[in-house]
Amino acid sequence: MRLKDQVAIVTGGSRGIGRGVVKAFAAEGAKVAFIYKGNQPAADSLAAEVAQTGGVAKAFQCDVANHDEAFKVVEAIEAEWGSIQILVNNAGVIRDGLFVAMKPEEWDVVVQTNLGGTFNFCHALAMKLARQRKGRIINISSVAATNSNPGQTNYAASKGAINSFTRALAVELAGRGVTVNAIAPGFIETDMSENVRNKAGDLIKKMIPLKRLGQPEDIAKVAVFLASPDAGYITGQILTVDGGLSLGAVAM
Amino acid sequence: MPSQEEIYQKVSATLVEALNVEVDEINPAATLQGDLGAESIDFLDIVFRLEREFGIKIPRNELFPESIFQGDPDFVMNGKVTEKGLDELRQKMPFADLSKFEKNPELTAISDLFTVDMIAKYIQGKLNVKN
Repeated sequence: MRLKDQVAIVTGGSRGIGRGVVKAFAAEGAKVAFIYKGNQPAADSLAAEVAQTGGVAKAFQCDVANHDEAFKVVEAIEAEWGSIQILVNNAGVIRDGLFVAMKPEEWDVVVQTNLGGTFNFCHALAMKLARQRKGRIINISSVAATNSNPGQTNYAASKGAINSFTRALAVELAGRGVTVNAIAPGFIETDMSENVRNKAGDLIKKMIPLKRLGQPEDIAKVAVFLASPDAGYITGQILTVDGGLSLGAVAM
Repeated sequence: MPSQEEIYQKVSATLVEALNVEVDEINPAATLQGDLGAESIDFLDIVFRLEREFGIKIPRNELFPESIFQGDPDFVMNGKVTEKGLDELRQKMPFADLSKFEKNPELTAISDLFTVDMIAKYIQGKLNVKN
């Protein structure tokens, strides 16, 4: 059990990659507070699923884009379980569309949720982690930050900003023993990537050197590693986990 | 009203916690950055802790004025603080001992003004404790 007795927060925890991270952290002995925005049935089913396997996970409702709500939910989690050691900023949305037709609301919601949510939770926790001289922040980025796809200016901008934010915050918190890293997943089989997968079909697998889509568990295992003592000397890094997609190889 | 000695003891204890140093590393002349290894985030932490410990409000930039000069040529010339700059320091930081700094006012040495004693004097001033 690599995360025994640690308290972790995972935003966007009820579905997709976040759900995988919650399960993996709980299996490693962490108490996991996961944040969901609106899908209560998904949140309830996850809490029950984790409990069945003997783990501890609890759902907390919060809009990550709201600064005050983020601070309040962090306080509520501390009141429940005491000090927090691990934060995974995973909550993210897409509003794909060509830039010339993009509505300002589509830009705003993506930036405010993906980047703003990361800012809000880091803001609520950074000083606390710094004070205890122990903490792990893991931001979920995307290969879309560096490998551009049409229709994703808003998403790419938010994820690119998360990469820069990760490195800059890592420098500020390193002296206090807090590490800040990001994971950049490629195509992961989740609800979020469903439309793209449907459109592209088998073409995606041909683009991925490892010849398969990623699963939430592929990302969750890396998150466990970054949160564990094994990764104590890694900070400010963006770890790409994409089956080799970003290598840009052309299938033969 | 706490005595000067009580203030110094509380300031020392605050620094031990904030900077994760041993109590015997603390002495009145110890500089926060050079001797005690403080980084910028530590200065914020020290301010929060002092506010809580002494029940006072410390406005931003009052105890640790990070940016007194902002490259203003009236205050800094060729990496040295000018006479006008020194006046500004005396006014903004009456609790700091400038005597050593005045002799060789290199801008890079300004962090040496932030000593344990400086914080204790600042708190004394805030609480109106007479020397």
